[in-house]
Amino acid sequence: MSDANESLPLPERPSMEVDIACVGFGPAMGGFLTTLARALTNPDGSPALESGVSPGLPLQVVCYERADGLGFGVSGVVTRARGIRASLPDLDPAQIPMATPVKAEKVVYLLDPVGASRRSRTLRAADGSIRLMKFMLPYERHALELPFTPAFLHKKGGLVLSIGQFNQWVGEQLMAGGQVQIWPGTPVAEPLVEDGKVVGVRLADQGVSRDGAPEAGYAAGLDVKARLTVVADGPVGVVGRSLDERFGLPEGHHVREWAVGMKMVVDLPEHCTLEEGTVLHTFGYPEPEIFGFLYVHPGRVASVGLFVPSWFDSPVRSSYLLLQYFLQHPYLWHHLKGGKMRSWGAKSLKESGRRGEPHLVGDGFARIGEGSGSTNVLTGSGVDEAWTTGAQLAYGVLELARAGKPYSRENLEAAYVARRRSSWVEEEGRIAERARDGFGQSLVTGLLGMALTGLTKGRVNLGSEPVAPHERLGTVESYYDGRIPPGEIARIRAECRKSGQSLAAALMRRAGWPEIPYDGMLLVSHQDALLLGGKVQAPAGYADHVRFVQPAVCEKCGTRTCIEICSAQAITPGEEGRGPSFDREKCVHCGACLWNCTQSLEGERTNIAFGAGAGGLHSAEN
Amino acid sequence: METILFVTHTEADGRVPRAALEALAAARELALARKAELVVGVFGAVTANASAQVAGASAARWLAITSPDLSEARYASDAAAVEALARAAAATLVVAPATSRLSRVVPGVAQRLGGRVDTHATSLAEKDGAPVITRWFYRQRIEAQLSREKRPWLILLEGGCHAPFVAEGAAPVFAEVPLPLGPSDRRTRVLGLRAPRSDAQTIRPDARLLFVAGAGWTKKQADGKTHADRAGELILAFLQASKASLGSSKSLVDQSGEGQAVLPFLSHLNQVGQTGATPRHPKGLATCCHGEEPHVVGWRFILERRAVNLDPGCGWARGKADVLYVADAFEVMEKVNALLAAK
Amino acid sequence: MSGYQIVVCGSVVPDPLQTLEPVEGATGPSLKNELMLPAVLDPWAAQALYEAAHLATRSPGSKVWLVALGPKAKLQQVMMAIGQKVAFELVALDGPAGGFVDAHETAAALSDAIKGLPGLDRSRLLVFGGWESGSRGAGATLQMVGEHLGIRDQFQGVDQIAPQADGSLEILERVEGGQHQLSRVEGPPALLGWATGNLPEPRNSPQVGMANMKTIMPALQRARPTKVGTADLKYLAVALPRVQRETRVVKDKSSDDIAREIVEWISKD
Repeated sequence: MSDANESLPLPERPSMEVDIACVGFGPAMGGFLTTLARALTNPDGSPALESGVSPGLPLQVVCYERADGLGFGVSGVVTRARGIRASLPDLDPAQIPMATPVKAEKVVYLLDPVGASRRSRTLRAADGSIRLMKFMLPYERHALELPFTPAFLHKKGGLVLSIGQFNQWVGEQLMAGGQVQIWPGTPVAEPLVEDGKVVGVRLADQGVSRDGAPEAGYAAGLDVKARLTVVADGPVGVVGRSLDERFGLPEGHHVREWAVGMKMVVDLPEHCTLEEGTVLHTFGYPEPEIFGFLYVHPGRVASVGLFVPSWFDSPVRSSYLLLQYFLQHPYLWHHLKGGKMRSWGAKSLKESGRRGEPHLVGDGFARIGEGSGSTNVLTGSGVDEAWTTGAQLAYGVLELARAGKPYSRENLEAAYVARRRSSWVEEEGRIAERARDGFGQSLVTGLLGMALTGLTKGRVNLGSEPVAPHERLGTVESYYDGRIPPGEIARIRAECRKSGQSLAAALMRRAGWPEIPYDGMLLVSHQDALLLGGKVQAPAGYADHVRFVQPAVCEKCGTRTCIEICSAQAITPGEEGRGPSFDREKCVHCGACLWNCTQSLEGERTNIAFGAGAGGLHSAEN
Repeated sequence: METILFVTHTEADGRVPRAALEALAAARELALARKAELVVGVFGAVTANASAQVAGASAARWLAITSPDLSEARYASDAAAVEALARAAAATLVVAPATSRLSRVVPGVAQRLGGRVDTHATSLAEKDGAPVITRWFYRQRIEAQLSREKRPWLILLEGGCHAPFVAEGAAPVFAEVPLPLGPSDRRTRVLGLRAPRSDAQTIRPDARLLFVAGAGWTKKQADGKTHADRAGELILAFLQASKASLGSSKSLVDQSGEGQAVLPFLSHLNQVGQTGATPRHPKGLATCCHGEEPHVVGWRFILERRAVNLDPGCGWARGKADVLYVADAFEVMEKVNALLAAK
Repeated sequence: MSGYQIVVCGSVVPDPLQTLEPVEGATGPSLKNELMLPAVLDPWAAQALYEAAHLATRSPGSKVWLVALGPKAKLQQVMMAIGQKVAFELVALDGPAGGFVDAHETAAALSDAIKGLPGLDRSRLLVFGGWESGSRGAGATLQMVGEHLGIRDQFQGVDQIAPQADGSLEILERVEGGQHQLSRVEGPPALLGWATGNLPEPRNSPQVGMANMKTIMPALQRARPTKVGTADLKYLAVALPRVQRETRVVKDKSSDDIAREIVEWISKD
C-alpha cells in the first residue's frame, strides 16, 4: 500500500475527526457496536461519554461498510450463538427473518455417483466397502449418514441464521438507537498511519476512472481521523491486510489456508420433507476435499453451499461448477429437485484461524473478527467468535474511555487482548489451531487429523506446516496427467479462448463430468446466477478494486487459476499480450482471486491486488 | 343510474387522437353493458372536426369546450376544462385516453370532484354488475383486476388496448360548456415542443418492429477489444433501413454516465423495461441483451419476439422469446443490413 | 427571503432487480416478504431529490425537505444510502408504502404533513416528486397533493427545470414520440413530477451523511404512525402473468442464414 499518507496531505483532500472510526460491518462489528452503544447513554438520557474531538457532543462513533447494504453477507450460518446470546439474552429467533433454532444435525459422506472425482486408492477402497455393505449401513442415494455428529461439530442448542438478515437486524437496532452511525456504500481505501500509529482511515476516492485517475466529478476520499480505528473488515479486508503488510504478522503466524464459501438460498420444492432447523454437513463430493452444507430456514427455505479449500489442488478449480454438481448429488437432489434459487453469493474464509492471527492491537487500532483470526477451524465456526471478540473490544474501549486513557498498544492489550486471551474464543481457538493441517496431505489424513485434534483437545494433530496456496498448485497439464493428454488440453484452451467459454467447465466435461441440465430454476448458467441471485451492481466513479500488479507476470502464467476461481466470472482472459481483464460490474467481492494467484512477487505476496470497492452482490437473504 | 363521461382533448387540427377513439369505443361498450348514459365531451382550441369522428356513438349528450386558452397542454386550463365537463355531465364514471395531456390533469380533477382515479388501465369491462379495470403494478410485473365503489371514478385508458370507435351517420352538434378561467390559471405558458437531442430519430412509436440493443454491443468482443463505433454504425444503419424503433436495456443507457464506450444516440428515453418504457410493437428483435426479467417486462406488449445472443443459456432462450439465434450480432446485423439495402 | 422551499415527496420501493410475488393479506394484496426485500428510494423520486438539491445549491436561501411515507424500518435502511448523497430534512410518516395502497390516501397523508411544515411560504414553494413510482406506478399521487395544496401549475414527466432571471421557471416535460414540451411558469408555487432528469447520481459524502444524520434519526424516531390502505379499492385478482413461450433455439446456422431468416420475418406482415 502507498506511503503517500505519511507525507503532507494533498490540499484537495478533506478531513474530519471522530472518536472511533470502524471499518466493516459484520458479526464482529455487530458485537462491538451493540455492546458499546448500550453503554453510551445514561439512564436519564444524557451521554455517558463525552467526545474527545467535539467537546459537548457524545462520543462520535462511525462505521464504514463498503457494501451497499448491511444485509450483504454470504454465509448460511449455523452457530451455537453463545457470545451472541450473552450479549442479547432476550434474543428471540422469531424476530430475525430466516432465523430458527437447530433441530436436527447430520454429517453425511457423499460417494461419487458419477465416477469422475479424484479419489485416492484408500478412499476408493472405502467407497467400495461401503457399497458392498450398504444394506447394513445408513446408506441411501450414494451417501452414508454418519450415525453420530462428532462433539466438536455439534451445534445443538444453536441457531440457523441468514447472516445477511442477522446483520441487517443488528444494524437496524443500532441505527434506531442513534448512538452510532453506520454508513454502507462507503469503501475504505487504506489506514492512515503516522509514525507507526494508526490515526484513522482514508475513504476511497470517487469520480475516478477505472484505473484511479481523477475525472470530472472527482471527489477525493475523505480522511477520517480517529483516536481509535476498529478494524473488522473480514478475511480479505484491505485495511486489515494493509496493517499486516506494514506491521507484519507475529512470529510463526501466517495466512496460508483459505476457502471459498459459495452458497445459494433456495425455495425448497413442495414435496420436500426436511424440517425447519435441519442441519446437514457433507464431505466427499463433488471432490473429496469439498465440504458442503444444507441448513433449513423457516418457510421452506434452505441455504445450500460448499467450501472450496486452498488444499483442493486443481489449478482450474471453479466453485460455481462444483456447486452445480454438488446440488445434483442424488442425496441432495432428492430434497432439492423442483426448488428455485432465490439468491446466491460467495466469500473467502480465512481457514488459518488462530495461526493466522495478526497483531491484534497497536497504537490507535484494534482488530476483531475473522480478519483477526478468531475463526475456529476445527468446529468450522466463525460468526459467534467474531461477535464475541467485538464485544470484548467494546468492554475494553469502555474501560479505557471511562478512565480517560489513550488507545495505545499497551492499554489496548490490557483492556481487550487480555479479555480475549482469557475467554473461550482463545481456549477453543488454540485447540483448533492445527486441526486442518492434515488436509495438506490428503482428505483421509485431514479427517483423521480433525478427529484426533477434536478428541485430544488439540494435543495430537496430524499433518505439517501448510505452505502458501500458490506453492501447492501445479500446471493444468500436470493436474490432468494421465487423464487428458497435453495436446488436447492445448486444443481445449484455444477453443475456450476463442469462444469465451469456461476452461474449467470444458476440462471437467472432458474428464467425465456430465453436462449440466439447466432448468432455469436451480441449475442455471453462471451468469444467470448473478442476475437471479440478487443484484450485482457497481456504482460508477470508483477505480477497479482488483488489479493485476505486473501484467507481464500474468503473461507467463500458464494456469490463470484466478479466471477459473472467480466466483462471478468477473475475471476473464484479456487481450493477447496483456493480463486478464476485470469487470467490476460482476465482482461479488469474495476475494478468491487474492489467494488463487499462482504467481508470487515477493514473499507470499501474489500478483493480484485486491482493494475495497463499492457494490457487489447484494441480496439481503444471504 | 350511472352516467359515463367520455372526455378527450382535440389536437391542433381539431380532431381527437387515435387513443381517444379507442377509449370512446371502450366507454360506449361499458355504457351499453351497464345500461348507463353516455356523455361525450371534447375540449381544445378547435373542436368542430371532432364531431365527425364520434358520430354514431349513441351519446345522450354531446358537450364541448372550445377556447383559445386550450390550444396548449397546460395543467390549470386543461384541469378546469375536464372538471367543467365532468360537472356539466354529472358524471359518475369518467373515461379518458391516457395521452400525456390527460394523464397530467385527470388525477387532479378526481381530487377536485371528490372522486377517485385509476390510471394506466389496459382493459375496461363490466363484471358481476360492476365496472372492472385491469392495470399493472411494480413496473409491469404484477397484473391486477380491480373495481371501486366510490363515485365519481375517473379512469385513464392506455392506448393500443381496444379497437377504435368507427364513426357512422350524421355528425352530432356539440353544446358549448363555459370555461371559467382566472389569472391564476394562466401563469404557465407553453413555449413549444423540443425534438430529441440527437439528429437520429430513434424512437418511433408506430414502428412495426422494436429493435433492442443490449449492453453486449459495447462490451469486449472475441478479439478482446470493444467496437462501439462499429456497433453504432450497424445499429443506425439497421434503423434507417428497417424504420424500426430503438430500445435499450438499462445497463446500456447507464453506461453513458460512466465514461465507457457508448452509443451516442442512446438516451434514457430509449430504455425499455425497469424504469423505462413499455412500448407497443407487433415485433421485437433483441440483440446482445441478456433477457433478464426486469428488462423483459418492458416487452409486455411486443407480440413476436426474437433475439440474437452468443449465450445459448440467456433469458431469451428460456421462454422469453419465440426464437433465439445463437450467433454474433455484429456479423448477423451486418448481413441483415446488406440484405435490406439490396431490397 | 430568497431561495426556494422544495418539498420532495417520495418513498421506498423494492430494489428493482428483486423477485416479486403478490400475496393476499387481511388488508388486501401485498408482496411476499415485503419487509425483507431490500428497498431503495424510488428511482424517480430519488432523481427529484437530487434535482431539488441541485436547484437549492444554485439558489441561496433554499431548503429541501423529503416527506416520505413508508414503514419506519425500511425508511431507516434507505436513509443510510440516501443520507450520504445530498442535504435535506426528513419528515417521516410510518405507514405502508406498497403498490396496492390507494394513491388518494397516500396523497392526503402527504399533504397534511406538508401543510404542517413550519414556515411554509407558498410564494417560494416547489413540490417535487417522482412522476410515477416503481410500486404503484399510478402517476396520480402528486397531482392530488397539488390539489390539496391549491397548486395549479403542475408538470409531469419532467426532465429539466431552468430558473430564469425574471424568477420564472422553464420546464421540460416528456410527451409523445420521444419529444419534450417546453413551458414557462411565472414562478412558485409549482409542482413537478420528475422522470429521469439529466443529473448523475451524487457521490457519497460522509460529511453530508453525518450532517443529515443529526436530523434524520430524530425524524425517524418521531415518525407518526399513518394509516393508509386500499380504501374503497376492491382487488378481484392479483397475479404474476405467466408468459412462457416455446423458444426455438437456433444454434448451428450460419450468420448468412440467420440474417436471411430475420429479414424474411421482419418483412412479412
